[in-house]
Amino acid sequence: MTHAVFDALNPPPVADVHLDLESYDADADLMVLNLGPQHPSTHGVFRVKLVLDGEVIVKAVPYPGYLHRGVEKLLEKLTYAQQTPIVDKNDYLSPMINEQVLNMAFEAGLGIEVPRRARWLRTILAELQRLASHLVAIGTFVMDVGGSIGGGASMFMYTFRDRELILDLFEDLTGGRFHYNTHQVGGNRHDVPVGWDVSIRAACDQIERSLDEWDVMTVKNGVFRDRTIGVGVLSRDLALQLGASGPIMRASGIDLDLRRDAPYHLYDELDVQVATGTGGDCFTRYRLRAVECRESIRLIRILLEDVPEGPLCSLKPSKGPTAVKIKDGQWYVAVEGPRGEIGTYLIAGGNKGMSPYRLKIRPPSLHALATVPYLLPGHTLSDAVAILGSLDPIMGEVDR
Amino acid sequence: MGHYFQAMKSVGTTLKNALRKPTTSLYPEVIRPRGERYRVAFALTHDEHGEENCIACKLCSLICPSEIITVTPGEKRDSPVTGKKRGYLEDFTLDMNACIYCELCVQVCPTDAIVMTRQPEKPAFAREDLVMTMDKLYANEKSKPLSWSNGTRLCDVQDPARPVTTLQAKAEASVPEPAPTAQPAPPTAEVP
Repeated sequence: MTHAVFDALNPPPVADVHLDLESYDADADLMVLNLGPQHPSTHGVFRVKLVLDGEVIVKAVPYPGYLHRGVEKLLEKLTYAQQTPIVDKNDYLSPMINEQVLNMAFEAGLGIEVPRRARWLRTILAELQRLASHLVAIGTFVMDVGGSIGGGASMFMYTFRDRELILDLFEDLTGGRFHYNTHQVGGNRHDVPVGWDVSIRAACDQIERSLDEWDVMTVKNGVFRDRTIGVGVLSRDLALQLGASGPIMRASGIDLDLRRDAPYHLYDELDVQVATGTGGDCFTRYRLRAVECRESIRLIRILLEDVPEGPLCSLKPSKGPTAVKIKDGQWYVAVEGPRGEIGTYLIAGGNKGMSPYRLKIRPPSLHALATVPYLLPGHTLSDAVAILGSLDPIMGEVDR
Repeated sequence: MGHYFQAMKSVGTTLKNALRKPTTSLYPEVIRPRGERYRVAFALTHDEHGEENCIACKLCSLICPSEIITVTPGEKRDSPVTGKKRGYLEDFTLDMNACIYCELCVQVCPTDAIVMTRQPEKPAFAREDLVMTMDKLYANEKSKPLSWSNGTRLCDVQDPARPVTTLQAKAEASVPEPAPTAQPAPPTAEVP
């Protein structure tokens, strides 16, 4: 997020939220319960220590860190040409966007332009990846909220069924279904296969039909509405204070999207319609993701109408690990991922210019999880699962 | 009462989907066709004269992020085909236990010697069985379908001076209809 964009939002000073149990009723029979680290609703390995009064949560303390793999330290050792396949494993539901933001930081360090065809391909890959990631977010959230027949688990299967269409598209392009390694410094590695746009249109049509169908199971379903409306309300001020971004922030009424406000790739030529909500609850966050799916489909269809020709990479193909060298300097590049602002802060100059001196990845999920101690208290234990699902955290990028 | 009606509509959607054609296939009987760029295992190749392509330049072992490729170069000797002096492999191992399938070794290979295959390795009971020796990799060239990508093709695609007519996306595309623009509604429109 650029400073100017953020300052325009006029963030309030950080409030001192006191989460002390001393002020609580001394006669209450409090119980400590660990939700996770292997609970399925935590979407990975994430532990929340809950202090319960009966079924009502009094205090919640999140403990991330169970999936720490030392990615940032590893990136200091590898050279620039070797790093793209490593960051695929950070946010494992949107590897394309991880690759893009890393390589955009390197391109900023080198000061090179990316050819228009590569920027077009990156835009369409980012939108497809956002669609695939939101489908998982919707499906897992509805499963967390519960219900078997007529909701919940069956809808989870439907979203995964439609996500497979997008994974098939990525397989046709890159050869990988999950870890692609299709971006490199200066452009892309794989060009569009023949007839790819026909498959994209078919997948978009199918997903659009499914989104209409799922409305019956969720937003038009009274059981789902009762479980989600008014649950886990995140106020606008708190979202600003904690650095929440993406759909979580927009559901709280902050109209900010880096695709529109700080355009990259080809987004400056596209008219991105940014949806915002005012509720800030689980229901609004769900609706916002569904609306963003439709917006992504609209953008993909616009992009497919005009396919630019030309080269795919502005640097010669890398024939060794030391092909890219970046001189000393600092760069921060951020893009709008499915979960919010994902950024790369690069300090170049390690290993004789062949590796970063330090590379910090700004994960949106970590800042989404920072809201957990504020959102959970006051709700019941079953609502805690719904709130965690609506935040859609990916522990791979939280712990890195 | 409204809840019951809405829940029954949800159940109706489930039943509608239950009657649809399944998208899954029973795996051992039906094997889904793989894309031509699908990459799951490795092979070392020969050229059209039956000579080994690998010249033991060690570029693949240098670029590998997991450092799983070990190249032992042999003596340089005259090639029986071209008569020129070139390098040969003494030994080559690739540890599939730690491979992340990034395809970088394929891209850097100057002689298209290492390529990936579309058919995976068989699961093994011991870790040693997943360490691909040179013999296994040369056997894979004959026994497994090779993936689209090799060093030359990838570098052609990534060439900054590439002619603009290659690999057009719209070669087989039908004429696109104007896409219906879905206007995003305010997300809280239906909240009572």
